[in-house]
Amino acid sequence: MPRCSCATTRADPMDRVLEDFVTALRLAGVRISVAETLDACAAATLVGYGNRLLLKDSLGAALAKSGREKALFSDTFDRFFTEFSCNATVPGQEDDPSRDAPLPEDPLSRMLLQRDQAALAAALQEASRQAGIRSIRLPTQRSLYTVRILNALGIEGLDGAIRTLSGAGSGVSLAQADTLQAARQELTESVRRYVEQQLDLYGQGLVNQYLEDALRKTRLSHLEQRHFEKMGEMIRRLVKRLNDIHSRRRKAARRGHLDFKRTLRHNVPYGGFLFDPKWKQRKLNRPDVLVICDISRSMMRLVRFFLLFLYGLNEEILRIRTFVFCSNLVEVSDVFDRYPVEEAVDRLQQGADLPIVMGLTDYSRSLKDFRQQYLDAVTRRTTVLFLGDGRNNNADPDARILREVYQRCRRLVWLNPEPRSFWGTGDSEMKRFLPYCHTARECNTLDHLERVIGALLARTRH
Amino acid sequence: MTETRMDGKVIMNEDRQNRIASWEAVQQGFRGTGYIADRAIATTVYLAWHLGKPILVEGPAGVGKTELAKTAAAFLDLPLIRLQCYEGLDEAKALYEWKYGKQLLYTQLLKDKLDEIVSRDNGFAAAIDKLHRYDDIFFSRHFLEPRPLLKALEHPGGAVLLVDEIDKADEEFEAFLLEILSEYQVSIPEIGTVSAASRPFVFLTSNNTRELSEALKRRCLHLFIPFPDAALERRIVRSRVPDLPEKLEKQLVSFIQEIRGLDLKKAPSISETIDWARVVVLLHAERLTTEVVRDTLHVFLKYQDDVHTVEERMPQLAPLLLRNDAG
Repeated sequence: MPRCSCATTRADPMDRVLEDFVTALRLAGVRISVAETLDACAAATLVGYGNRLLLKDSLGAALAKSGREKALFSDTFDRFFTEFSCNATVPGQEDDPSRDAPLPEDPLSRMLLQRDQAALAAALQEASRQAGIRSIRLPTQRSLYTVRILNALGIEGLDGAIRTLSGAGSGVSLAQADTLQAARQELTESVRRYVEQQLDLYGQGLVNQYLEDALRKTRLSHLEQRHFEKMGEMIRRLVKRLNDIHSRRRKAARRGHLDFKRTLRHNVPYGGFLFDPKWKQRKLNRPDVLVICDISRSMMRLVRFFLLFLYGLNEEILRIRTFVFCSNLVEVSDVFDRYPVEEAVDRLQQGADLPIVMGLTDYSRSLKDFRQQYLDAVTRRTTVLFLGDGRNNNADPDARILREVYQRCRRLVWLNPEPRSFWGTGDSEMKRFLPYCHTARECNTLDHLERVIGALLARTRH
Repeated sequence: MTETRMDGKVIMNEDRQNRIASWEAVQQGFRGTGYIADRAIATTVYLAWHLGKPILVEGPAGVGKTELAKTAAAFLDLPLIRLQCYEGLDEAKALYEWKYGKQLLYTQLLKDKLDEIVSRDNGFAAAIDKLHRYDDIFFSRHFLEPRPLLKALEHPGGAVLLVDEIDKADEEFEAFLLEILSEYQVSIPEIGTVSAASRPFVFLTSNNTRELSEALKRRCLHLFIPFPDAALERRIVRSRVPDLPEKLEKQLVSFIQEIRGLDLKKAPSISETIDWARVVVLLHAERLTTEVVRDTLHVFLKYQDDVHTVEERMPQLAPLLLRNDAG
């Protein structure tokens, strides 16, 4: 069986190359299992290493399993399988007197003087393996690995050879020493470049990891524009996990006990033989979520990520209606029905086609709007999520209206981007809203978002 | 199985192995059946066959994912067994079902026989005991209705199994497929484990309406078919609609390529290009004028909004037609 070939020919150097490649891919963010690595080995054995493009297609089929992974794969493949170029051999002139001179004993010096590119490349591969280049992760390790590789290459021997040659004092050996000195410089330079390349391959993953950890704890309101895409990707991953967990539970709730009444009724045509058993089905409890967001400038970033998160969840596990307000309140659920989430959020941000006034934030007016038009939407099965900083520009927020919502709904959760200690300071009316919330939390990082939504799903789904 | 049949099977298998001896052979063979495969497609098919792995094909609708499986079946001279996935698809529809009606009918018909068996013994316990000796009869192969998956496993000489639009099925169904995809066997509680007589060649297609599980992806080779570039698309159109004059073909393909760049709800796929080419041939159009395009927009655009978008852009797109017309 082709699958086993990899395991039995473990010593094959090409397999080791493949192993390194898989490591590089993993660090770049492609998830690869052991089984897939074996597939890749088998595929490579089948097509061989002769045709680069063919190898790329084959390994791609075995290792990269989504559009994103395909792109990462292609990039990593191109960087990994670049020819190592070493310009260390100085092109000597034809009439160079040192050409015919006897070669020194030192093997590295010989290679350099003989301009043996292939041998040099092979020596470098071996040296970098000895130096353990695969473990390079941080930019600060560059010089360490450069020195290690140079040592493994035998730079000391080269230095010795140069010293001896220049000490000999004859014209030929002096010329040879000069050539070697130049070559040494070139060699160091190439090794440094090589280490740079390897750092690119192996170090990226760790940097990513640091970045992600940091981003999870960054206040969304302070997030830089260049990290938006990364954030979107992290949200998608979290959402997928939540979807996976909760859709499975939904299915589990379907399995019930034997429904004897229905079974009897259904099997009457079979003369009373109970051929086709019917099972009791539990009704699915899909939480009804009603989201009311303050989209004034200070809140927009949080709202953006919050909605990306919420609408990423399966329709099957969550039913959502969304309202946004600033100076007045409008429903925007249909924007989300019509456009993909990201686009819908962008549209909200631009305020395209919405009858919303982006003046001063007016909680009073907005709550009145809600009471007047949408209060019916709140039932005892509804969870209301209110996103706002509670800052009403020193006007009366009419917090009493929130009480009506509070009394009708199942839960009212207020999410405030400000830390708790700021609530009620300045023009914040949080203290006046607090009595009408089942829970109020600080919410301004991805970690918070995940916790809030996780709790929402866990609490409402039983 | 008789000796001769065994021989026949072996020869057929060898022939098949020869046919799929290299990726170039696959590409050649597919071209023979009218499917233009690029290197990635041919390589993946070649690998999947030799490694005995299923292929998971992803890509936008209408780029020839389903067609790939059909072509592979034709090329390998194997029957194609297709399982269309949809929400709520379960084992009973995909794998097997007991023939309840037949079971019922037989119990009725055999009632006398049963009476005879039971009545000879006096005593309830003895009768039950006796019945137990016969009850497996009703859960045997005779009463088993094989559905596509079981059919594909049991087909002598192998088959091409196409699990179409796997992303439409529920996640449990995916989990259920895992046993079949990695071991090529299924467990039927009443009968036992059924292993494949000859390993089926499995294609799974997905339109990416949801992410498939890691476990499923791990078991498959992955192939992504994107929209083709102009040169490849022209070759595909030429192979599918040979009656189309060359000049028209060039105009048509470059127009479609241009349209894909617009912001559309549903960008036209290869299948739409081919449909459009056929329509143009039927209309006996000599060249693609703005009028002809306007009249036939609905052939390759499936939303009214998209038709509007393209109509609005016609002034910008028209020069493109002219340029290709002149060239």
